Amino acid sequence: MAAFRVGVDIGGTFTDIAFLGEDGRRLTKKVSSTVGDYAQAIVEGLSEVMRDARIAPSEIVEILHGTTVASNAILERKGAMTGLITTRGFRDVLEIRTLRMPRLYDLSWEKPAPLVPRELRLEVDERINAAGEVVRPLAEAEVEEALERLLRQGVEAVAVAFLHSYSNPAHEERVKTLARRIAPRLVLSLSSEVLPEIKEYERTSTTVINAYVRPIVETYLSRLEAALKEIGIAAPLLLMQSNGGLMTAKAAALAPIHIIESGPAAGVVGARAVAQASGVSHAISFDMGGTTAKASLIEDGELTRAIEIAVGGGVMVGSRLLSGAGYTLKVPAIDLAEIGAGGGSILWIDTGGALQIGPQSAGASPGPVAYDRGGSEPTLTDAAIALGYLNPRHLVGGALKLNAEKAKSVIAERIAAPLGMSLEEAAMGAYKIAASNMIRALKAVSSERGRDPRRYALVAFGGSGPLFAAALAEVLGLRRILIPPSAGVFSSFGLLYSDVEYHLSKSRKALLKMLDSAELEGLLGALESEARRRLAEDGFTAEKMQILRSASLHYQGQSFELEVPLEAGVLDRATLARLEEAFGREHETTYGHRAGAEEPVELVTVKVIGRGVSEVPRSAAAGMAAPAPSIGIAQSCRAAYFGPEKGWLSARVVTRGDLKEPLQGPGIVEEYDSTTLIPPGATARLDPVGAIRIALEARNTTIG
Amino acid sequence: MASDPIALELFKNALLSAADDMALTIFRTTYSGVLRDNMDYSTALFDSEGALAAQGLTLPAHLGSMPTAMAAILETFEGNINEGDVFILNDPFKGGMHLPDIFVFKPIFFEGRLLAYAATVCHHTDVGGRVPGSNASDSTEIYQEGLRIPPIKMFEGGRRNETLFSLIETNVRVPVKVFGDLRAQLAASTIAERSLIDLARHYGPDEVSLLMRELILYAERMTRAAIRELPDGVYSFRDHIDDDGIDEGRPIPLVVTITKKDDHMRVDWTGSSPQVKGAINNTLSFTKSASYCAVRSLLPANIPNNDGVFRAIEVVAPPGTIANCVLPAACAARGLTGFRMVDCVFGALAKMAPDKVFASSDGGNTCITIGGWDASRRPFIYVDFTCSAWGGRPDKDGLDGNSNIFANMASQSVEVTETEQPLEILAYEFIEDAMGPGKYRGGAPFRRDYRFLGEEAILQVRSDRRAFRPYGLYGGAPGRPSMNALTRDGERRLLPTKFAMTIRRGDVFRHEVAGAGGWGDPLERDPERVLGDVKAGIVSKERARADYGVVLSVEPLAVDAAASAALREEMRRRRNWPEVPEVSWERQALAAE
Repeated sequence: MAAFRVGVDIGGTFTDIAFLGEDGRRLTKKVSSTVGDYAQAIVEGLSEVMRDARIAPSEIVEILHGTTVASNAILERKGAMTGLITTRGFRDVLEIRTLRMPRLYDLSWEKPAPLVPRELRLEVDERINAAGEVVRPLAEAEVEEALERLLRQGVEAVAVAFLHSYSNPAHEERVKTLARRIAPRLVLSLSSEVLPEIKEYERTSTTVINAYVRPIVETYLSRLEAALKEIGIAAPLLLMQSNGGLMTAKAAALAPIHIIESGPAAGVVGARAVAQASGVSHAISFDMGGTTAKASLIEDGELTRAIEIAVGGGVMVGSRLLSGAGYTLKVPAIDLAEIGAGGGSILWIDTGGALQIGPQSAGASPGPVAYDRGGSEPTLTDAAIALGYLNPRHLVGGALKLNAEKAKSVIAERIAAPLGMSLEEAAMGAYKIAASNMIRALKAVSSERGRDPRRYALVAFGGSGPLFAAALAEVLGLRRILIPPSAGVFSSFGLLYSDVEYHLSKSRKALLKMLDSAELEGLLGALESEARRRLAEDGFTAEKMQILRSASLHYQGQSFELEVPLEAGVLDRATLARLEEAFGREHETTYGHRAGAEEPVELVTVKVIGRGVSEVPRSAAAGMAAPAPSIGIAQSCRAAYFGPEKGWLSARVVTRGDLKEPLQGPGIVEEYDSTTLIPPGATARLDPVGAIRIALEARNTTIG
Repeated sequence: MASDPIALELFKNALLSAADDMALTIFRTTYSGVLRDNMDYSTALFDSEGALAAQGLTLPAHLGSMPTAMAAILETFEGNINEGDVFILNDPFKGGMHLPDIFVFKPIFFEGRLLAYAATVCHHTDVGGRVPGSNASDSTEIYQEGLRIPPIKMFEGGRRNETLFSLIETNVRVPVKVFGDLRAQLAASTIAERSLIDLARHYGPDEVSLLMRELILYAERMTRAAIRELPDGVYSFRDHIDDDGIDEGRPIPLVVTITKKDDHMRVDWTGSSPQVKGAINNTLSFTKSASYCAVRSLLPANIPNNDGVFRAIEVVAPPGTIANCVLPAACAARGLTGFRMVDCVFGALAKMAPDKVFASSDGGNTCITIGGWDASRRPFIYVDFTCSAWGGRPDKDGLDGNSNIFANMASQSVEVTETEQPLEILAYEFIEDAMGPGKYRGGAPFRRDYRFLGEEAILQVRSDRRAFRPYGLYGGAPGRPSMNALTRDGERRLLPTKFAMTIRRGDVFRHEVAGAGGWGDPLERDPERVLGDVKAGIVSKERARADYGVVLSVEPLAVDAAASAALREEMRRRRNWPEVPEVSWERQALAAE
């Protein structure tokens, strides 16, 4: 009898399952996702692992789950038919958005269609002012009429967003009472409950998203729980939130906005665990798959978070300055920069004669030319084959056959010939340009925040991450790379290293110098009690609760804030003075300048994170050290190209297990789910937690 | 062709990344609402000769302005540009655009040699002059508009020019904000300096210079290749600004002639109005920005914005005109003219490439300012720039509720406004039947109602597109004019497009943005789409019938196909178009009733 914790990560194509036993046993399974009823694939996958490894359902103590169910509902516009009730005069707030578009000079730009069409956005007479005073009473008859009209139209969910409801929720709450009377089962989201913060567009949009995905998420979770019960699994089901914390299935069903970016978050949490286990506190998480690459920053062992995300906004255009894409969701989320570059990205030559990579992708079907499934456009994967980096005959332990000759000839014809270069020079160019595109993503999370990337280790995973890690690290001047075990299915492992978390915040604008520390203490105390209440509801005892506090500040007159941690203990004038100083230092680090001491610093928001520490230890080292499953490759050598200076070299091809002995590059580590490149001059070895640790030659400039 | 296309692509990414880093630093630390919401600033890198090599992605309206300012610095300081110097200017007659836009240039040296220049321009909160914000549209000469800074050194050999700083401090209303934003500009320059020095270490300084030149040539090649694809010819267009607010009711003509031959384009503003009394005169640099913005929209998105683009697109305007003003013209509110020029260039381009260009948008920003003193004698000032609708496009409707292509500004939150200002906003909603009908209709504009809650304030408005409406193309009709009204003691009266007046507690001011023009014959619009607009409540059943010839049945609401076909036939016969009208300024008499 051993206790197992299980991570389940659903993607569009595959569902990845990871079992981690308290005895250190690690089991993985990749099954095709069953679109329509995702629970089916999960249950089948779990059953297979349990059957093969003779694990009883009662041995499973926790199921940790990352899912794209909610985000897919938005991307595919398949959420519930949703109605919206607003203050008279403001039903178009949802559609007008902020007016801004994410692309300049683009006459063909289309705004994402609002999740609630105009005919389902109804107005009622009521008004509360900024101070929270009722200016006009709620016209209850109009509310009833609006609800009935929406129900007649067949809506399944209703969002309510009145102006200034964050300061006085009375009118929204009255709508709830009336709705309960008319339609007790109607899914209702109040903006004062979902996001009690100022700014009507962000609050309305977030509330609408919550209503729009709730019926789907509720159905999905109840089905999944029932299916798990059916096969005898009674363990609690916890969901990964976009912010990297976990939440119970019950909480997720009520507030699904927190699990929208659940999938990418798991990978970053896993990267943090690997980094910590390897004794690294500053790291860049780099997740590259077939179509996109995502980067995120880990500082002092903590994830970095953004306060707002654009769901379905697509990959960034190069700069994060341009907003307006996708659907605005104002919840804390791991700060990810994403670009459209993956193994399937297509190579092409623009009208100025320059080689470009993506953002068009050949995807999984038809896929790269080398897959021989009808793909005719050269891709990054084809370039990696031409360079000798990927096995020329097959991938995925032989499951995927490759046609290297086709890959080479398409690069020769379509890229090398027009550029007047040799095949290997052209392929090397593609590899480097792809790396330089990805560097813009890495820089977006590092140097754009004033962080010098050279201080960081790169944790690379995903199907293509380990192949590109060395090129990125070299250009950015990073010295250390970590390739976690099971890099290709790493997100499902990431789930195993997270804790239950509640992120709560409250707006309070005041100059720090004028602020009464007792009042601040009161605000924080209220948030803290709420966090503790929720954690207690999830079954955590007081000693298993951790509370983190922070403040968002800016110089008076600025529009963007920086978050600074608050000291534990009672707040007084001296703590506030130290907070002010800490803000100044952070401003200097991030932006390269700070104002003089006389310039007033303003508090904008206080935040509390309540963390429930699990009974089951989440030590990152647990389980990682288990040997990687071998795919039976005998050690051999392959010619690989490393640029005009080094030329073609013979690289040793090894498995992860072989790296118990340090390997001097050039080398290639072939595994079932990924391929790792070790460049000449670098040294790779297996570290105690099973990660490949690559040390690069010292360099001191940063380019990119 | 670049010597090494791979190296060039890698270098391009590095340089654009540096320009973006600069832009982000300013965006996140600024004190200026105009700058944050309108992205009214830009960052750039120039090569050692002063040619623009890369620009940060921010405001389209700045695309042509940077080189002019750079040239002014070089002209003034030739032979006197040293390590540790930083230059500043805002004078429209010495490289600037209008006084609130302050340019900062920092030469970057590597091992004692000039390598490049980092440049930033920010719209500052206030630079002195008659009115807070230094943005009045009714000034009549530059001397009323604020502090003029000719090209001078703000740092010399690393030493701060204290004289300049104290002069600025004395002349602007909010020195803390202005100094905060200048600090952001300096920080952005330092970030650029660091990146460029890293690049020089990696590539060597000669190679950096070479690659910057190559990057410009690359942009020029792409621009010329794209221009070559367009049909040769001479294309003219004439549009108007209603008036300048001083000479009320006197239209101001803007005339553009685009000559396109092979891989070159010339945009000529000869024939446009002489410069005017009101503060809407353009410097040539701003006229260039407006011209580039429209032309740029027809070129591939991935062309780097640098000198190479400008080499292929020549912009000319005679001095002394509204398109190239001379002393003592006032120009603080020249944004209006920029927007109209963009409409004008698109009109000409529509004749060149009918399948690529949209009908007229709403005319660009309306600027609404409400300012005064509260009960405790503290000043308040509310400034709102607002625009909403795109013209109908050759293959789809115009956007409803979107920023103008020349500005990419953001709206301000109603709740934040009400928290900070003595205002209650009563409505912020689309207007029914205001967009220009077309096969692809114009975008829907919105209205805003502001109720004033204080004692007394001055309301200033700069709007346009009332006498001259947003035009329709190829059978599409123009949008509805913009509108201003004030309701006081229950009585509503119309107000002109540009005015300043005193308002009192309880007064309600309404602004309606103009509707955008439609594209293509409204009688060819898919009746189901007309039905969709009726359901959404942005087209009335009456207009569905009168403008589109679509007859709707009532319960359930649906298209009556037979009746619609008959009505459309009847309307076609009655209007009897000899040919589809290219440009429409007035709604065609289509009414079926």
